Amino acid sequence: MRIVADKDVCVGAGMCALTAHDLFEQSEEDGTVVLVVERPADDRLHLVRRVVDSCPSGAITLADD
Amino acid sequence: MTVQLPLEQVHPLAVPPALRDLQSRGVIHPVRTRVGHPAWLVTGYEEIRALIADPRLGRAHREPDKASRLGDWMLFSGPMGDFDTEHDDEARVRAQLQPHFAPGRMRALRPRVEALTTDLLDELERHGSPADLQEALAGPLPVLVICELLGVPYEDRDEFSKLSRAAGDILDPARSEQGLMELYEYGKRLVERKRDEAADDVISRMLQSGDLSDDEIAMHTMMLLFAGHETTVSQIGLGAACLLADPGQWRALHDDPSLVPSAVEEILRAPSLGGPGIPRYAREDLTVGEVTVRAGDLVILDIGAGNHDGAVFADPDRFDASRKDSPHLTFGFGARYCIGAQLARIELQAVFADLTRRFPDMRLAVPVEKLQRSPHSSTGVLLSLPVEW
Repeated sequence: MRIVADKDVCVGAGMCALTAHDLFEQSEEDGTVVLVVERPADDRLHLVRRVVDSCPSGAITLADD
Repeated sequence: MTVQLPLEQVHPLAVPPALRDLQSRGVIHPVRTRVGHPAWLVTGYEEIRALIADPRLGRAHREPDKASRLGDWMLFSGPMGDFDTEHDDEARVRAQLQPHFAPGRMRALRPRVEALTTDLLDELERHGSPADLQEALAGPLPVLVICELLGVPYEDRDEFSKLSRAAGDILDPARSEQGLMELYEYGKRLVERKRDEAADDVISRMLQSGDLSDDEIAMHTMMLLFAGHETTVSQIGLGAACLLADPGQWRALHDDPSLVPSAVEEILRAPSLGGPGIPRYAREDLTVGEVTVRAGDLVILDIGAGNHDGAVFADPDRFDASRKDSPHLTFGFGARYCIGAQLARIELQAVFADLTRRFPDMRLAVPVEKLQRSPHSSTGVLLSLPVEW
């Protein structure tokens, strides 16, 4: 599974970095999402799903490829 | 049956019993607002979370004069903005403001917030027990922080604070209008001053960016102040009240400061009873639960109700500083998510880490039921918080 982060949709809430700081960071300039790890290990997927669900703007999704 | 708002609050820190009754019957309810206008009150967590992010609802109304209103105060009680362009307008303002709240900026502010907190607590210590924590800490800190952020001179902060309280009065429209006008005028004077003496603050940086008119900057200044001030004043007082109401939790925070972040999230969730609610207007017909909401209808999103929905929060009426992964809606959800959320978290974390560390024996000096929330404030700020130690 691949994490997709859409900077155009992101509102800089920072929930992703708060929930999984080893996978996501926030840009220093405007607070939008910066993806640190694109393909997380399988045992991290539950955490990524929580990030997807808690992102207020729906900027984070999981792709099957 | 149509319910009349506001619902009666019986206990200062608990959701109104009438709300529980509504929640047991459904997720959306026909209501009359304080001024007698028809509206829908949404009380289910999932529905609130979906609707608050749904572009089919907005703040603007096609015919503002005919729109239902929550009340007759100035901000967030009726339609705002231009119906045809509101989403684009909001996205533009968001893009203008967001860089000023970026993580780097907030991180740089953290030591200042901590220093301001320390100063106020030093003063509290000198004052000695008993004291009013609302007056000594909750009231002054957010003003100091927002003044720091915006670059409001020290000598202006009392005036600034007074105007902000007036602007937020939900019982006295004339006072609210006057407060807002004066805030805006103050903002304009401040912008002019910053033009001559730029400093390291949001107003100066907005001026330097060059893509905003003085008027827009003054307007942003006023909104940031308004949004960032009383909300935090309220949360600090209510958070302390919740923790002190259960001495075990105060003590737990003192013994284990790693609990502070989760305690802060619980402070954001539990005593936020939603006030008058978030007003939205349906831009088109839509279905919510089993109800058809018509274009133009007022839809009130009751954040407090969502934050106490038993389907999402186990034992929702219990304040639990160690509650994990609490997806509360206090900062909203979607494109309008609170831009100051990180700043609020920094302030609350600084306050509750320091307070519990320095005053392990602090306790309420009155029974919790006697605490009073101001009916003039949309956040239900505590009128006072008597404590002793």
